Amino acid sequence: MNLEKVVFGFFILLAMTLNFGFFIGDMADPEFHHPYELFAAIVVNLVATVLKFGDRTQVGAIHLSTSLVADLQLITAAVVWVAYSGLGTDIPAGIMVSIVSLSGGAFLANVTSVVLLIIETIMLRR
Amino acid sequence: MRAPLITLIVSYTIAILGFTLAPGVDAQGNPWQMSLFEAFYVVSYTATTIGFGEIPYAFSQAQRLWMTFSIYFTVIAWFYAIGKIIALMQDPGLRHAITVARFARAVRRLGEPFYIVCGYGGTGSLLVEALDRLGIRAVTVDISQERINELELQDYQAPVPGLCMDARLPDSMIQAGILHPLCGGVAALTDDDQANLAIAVTVKLLKPELKVLCRAENQETATNMASFGTDHIINPYELFGEHLAMEVHALGTYLLHEWLTGVPGSALPAPACPPIGKWIVCGFGRFGKAVVSNLQREHMQTVVVEADPQLTHCDDCIIGSGAQARTLIEAGIEDAIGIVAGTDNDVNNLSIVMTALELKPDLFVVIRKNKRHNAPLFQKFSADITMQPSDIIAHECLAHLVTPVLAQFLALARSQSNAWANALIGRLVETVGENVPETWRVTLSGELAPAVINLLGHGKTVLLETLTSDPANRETRLPLVPLLLLRGGETILLPEPSQSLEKDDRILFCGKNSAKSAQSLLLTNRKVLTYVRDGSETPDGVVWRWIASRARK
Repeated sequence: MNLEKVVFGFFILLAMTLNFGFFIGDMADPEFHHPYELFAAIVVNLVATVLKFGDRTQVGAIHLSTSLVADLQLITAAVVWVAYSGLGTDIPAGIMVSIVSLSGGAFLANVTSVVLLIIETIMLRR
Repeated sequence: MRAPLITLIVSYTIAILGFTLAPGVDAQGNPWQMSLFEAFYVVSYTATTIGFGEIPYAFSQAQRLWMTFSIYFTVIAWFYAIGKIIALMQDPGLRHAITVARFARAVRRLGEPFYIVCGYGGTGSLLVEALDRLGIRAVTVDISQERINELELQDYQAPVPGLCMDARLPDSMIQAGILHPLCGGVAALTDDDQANLAIAVTVKLLKPELKVLCRAENQETATNMASFGTDHIINPYELFGEHLAMEVHALGTYLLHEWLTGVPGSALPAPACPPIGKWIVCGFGRFGKAVVSNLQREHMQTVVVEADPQLTHCDDCIIGSGAQARTLIEAGIEDAIGIVAGTDNDVNNLSIVMTALELKPDLFVVIRKNKRHNAPLFQKFSADITMQPSDIIAHECLAHLVTPVLAQFLALARSQSNAWANALIGRLVETVGENVPETWRVTLSGELAPAVINLLGHGKTVLLETLTSDPANRETRLPLVPLLLLRGGETILLPEPSQSLEKDDRILFCGKNSAKSAQSLLLTNRKVLTYVRDGSETPDGVVWRWIASRARK
């Protein structure tokens, strides 16, 4: 067992699961989407991105790009949230929907990342 | 790079989480907790030691406690990360990798023919400069970083990519572009014979069709190079000996040689004619040997002065350093007419000549210059002939590398009489002026001279004269002289203007730069060529051509 692989797989999976946890639920209702969940998703995604640095293979490049996409989407979601939460009123339903759909996009990128990880593992076994 | 970044992310996360959990009060005294964004904002300015203070409300005791912890925690993590990243940027290994990659990219992107010059010393820099003046790109490789720094400070017309690396390694040569489709040739000019040999071997094995010129000072290396198919091997000492002999017996031929292989635009050096009589040669190394054998071939009497006869295998010589008057008198300086100071030590050479001139002021002086940095001393001294290996090699390289036909011409010229050479020089001075002219080759092929080929294809004759007329005014001649015409295996030295041209002829021209560019118009533009040939403008377009044909009827 390789500890590096464990840590790597852990962060990639955790990034996806946290992302999913934030994404799931009624899109327009802020009750279903806690800010801490988004925060945790961003942090874990950033760690996953850093872990993917420096891999020169083709698969490594795709890995990194999926992570960068997820980071971009999640951070955009957070920025939108912060921008609208400072107004003193409740977040409009439309904005909440776009925040959640942004995180949905990031989730898709994270799924791709996990699929790649699985493919890589299977290829290694051969 | 991963560890510092992850440390940074983790420390931020802990600090931000702590701030959102710490209980606080707002301006009205209501319980208040920071949002994630506010916490991120506070941590950002704290970690970077900017410190805006307690925003948005004055902190509670719990928040201040967490702040104290965060300051030490995040600031240390931040500095650790920054320090690591900066250290990485300054890592010599990484920087070297970046420089190499940048060099390789610059070479790969060269979109025009270029030459690789290995060794940017005295010879290499001269050659690069000459190539640059001719508008030809060059790439250099040198083993010393100092010389590459020198290259970067030089002001060339086109950038010359250069890198400090060992040219003996095949990898370096590949990076320098020997496999590049536009690479025209390699000049191995380092001062190490073995390195030059290694370069020749590398190039000839990796890309046999590439032209290689090598500098070799030892006969063994030269033979070795030749066995690998090196195109031209330059031995500076032998070359100088030959030149000296040429100066003695055929000054005109020598001048022609100097002139055509010089750096274009530079002034022609005044010729020195070595006198005939008894010569004293100090130093019987490789240089001395070459000089002595060439002088003896010209039936001159030579006396050799050598400090170490055993080492140099000198059987018949006067033992001494030559810098002492006693030795020179013993060598018979009274009835000598010339002295050659040819040791491998510049200071010795200068002192030999000083002593000799004190004894006999009207001696003809030939002095060997070894080190480039001693140039000011030699300039001040102004001997009759100063032998500079770097100049000789650079000129030779230029002739062989850029215009191989020129080398062929010079070989033919050597077999001609001195009077012939003098006549040609007279003609060159008349048309081109006193400065070193440019020499170029014209190939009458469909690609390079479409206009000429087009006319020939229509069954019309094109005379050489046509290619020497001014496209602006056909009555005037361009300032150029055709030197050589190659047709198949046939060579025509100094072709006449009435010579008719054929497809695939190769012609060597010599003239001013302006003539070269004007001539390229003749070769490529059919209208201009027809005007120069017939004196009439061809009408443009179908309608005008039709009208013209009607008018002719």
